[in-house]
Amino acid sequence: MSRSAKKGPYYDERLLAKVEKAQQKRSNEPIKTWSRDCTIVPEFVGTTFLVHNGRQFIKVYITEDMVAHKLGEFAPTRIFKGHSGGKKAAK
Amino acid sequence: MPRILGVDLPNDKPTHISLRYLYGIGPALALQVCEQARVDPLRRAKELSDDEIARIATILDREYTVEGPLRREIQQNIQRLIQIGCYRGTRHRRHLPCRGQRTRTNARTRKGPRKTVAGKKGVKEAGK
Repeated sequence: MSRSAKKGPYYDERLLAKVEKAQQKRSNEPIKTWSRDCTIVPEFVGTTFLVHNGRQFIKVYITEDMVAHKLGEFAPTRIFKGHSGGKKAAK
Repeated sequence: MPRILGVDLPNDKPTHISLRYLYGIGPALALQVCEQARVDPLRRAKELSDDEIARIATILDREYTVEGPLRREIQQNIQRLIQIGCYRGTRHRRHLPCRGQRTRTNARTRKGPRKTVAGKKGVKEAGK
C-alpha cells in the first residue's frame, strides 16, 4: 500500500540539511549516506551521493528524472554474474 | 463494419464491448465513452451511424490516449526507468519481473520459455 498523501514523501531530514549545506558551499563533494529509503526530492538534483549497498558505497549522480525514486533504487544490493558453465549471460 | 481510429474493426457485438477491441479501452472506459458520445452502449456496433462513429472518434482523440500514443507512452516510461539506472530499470533490461515477484520458480511471462540446464537439481531428482 502506498504512503498517505497527507504526510507527503518521506525523506531523511538530516540528509536534506546536508545537501543544502553543500549547495551553499558549492561543493561537489559526494555525500555518503545509508538512507536508502530516502525519497529523492527536487533539491537533490545535481548532487552526487555515495549510497551504501550493505558493503560498498555506490556513486549516484542525481538527475531530474530520478526525482520521486528512492536512493536505494540506484545502489543494487545483490550481484548476479550469471550461472556457472553458462555459455552467455542473459541479455 | 465500423472503423474507429484507422485500423480497428470492431465487430457486431454491443458497442461497449466492441470498443474494448481498442488498445487502452477496458470495460469502464468503454461505457464512459458511450455515455459521452450519447450512444446507447447496448446497440450493435454495426448499427452505428457515421455520425455516431465520428462522435466516438473525436472523443477518443481529444480526451483519451489509446492505441499507438498509449503504447508509445508506456514504452517511454519503461525507457526512462532503464535510462536512469534504477532497480526497476535493470529488471526491465534483464527481462525479469520488476515488482518483487519470486524468480526461483514461475515468472515465465517475463522469462519466456524454460531453458533447461543440465545437472540442475529439479523436481525429478528431488524425488529420489
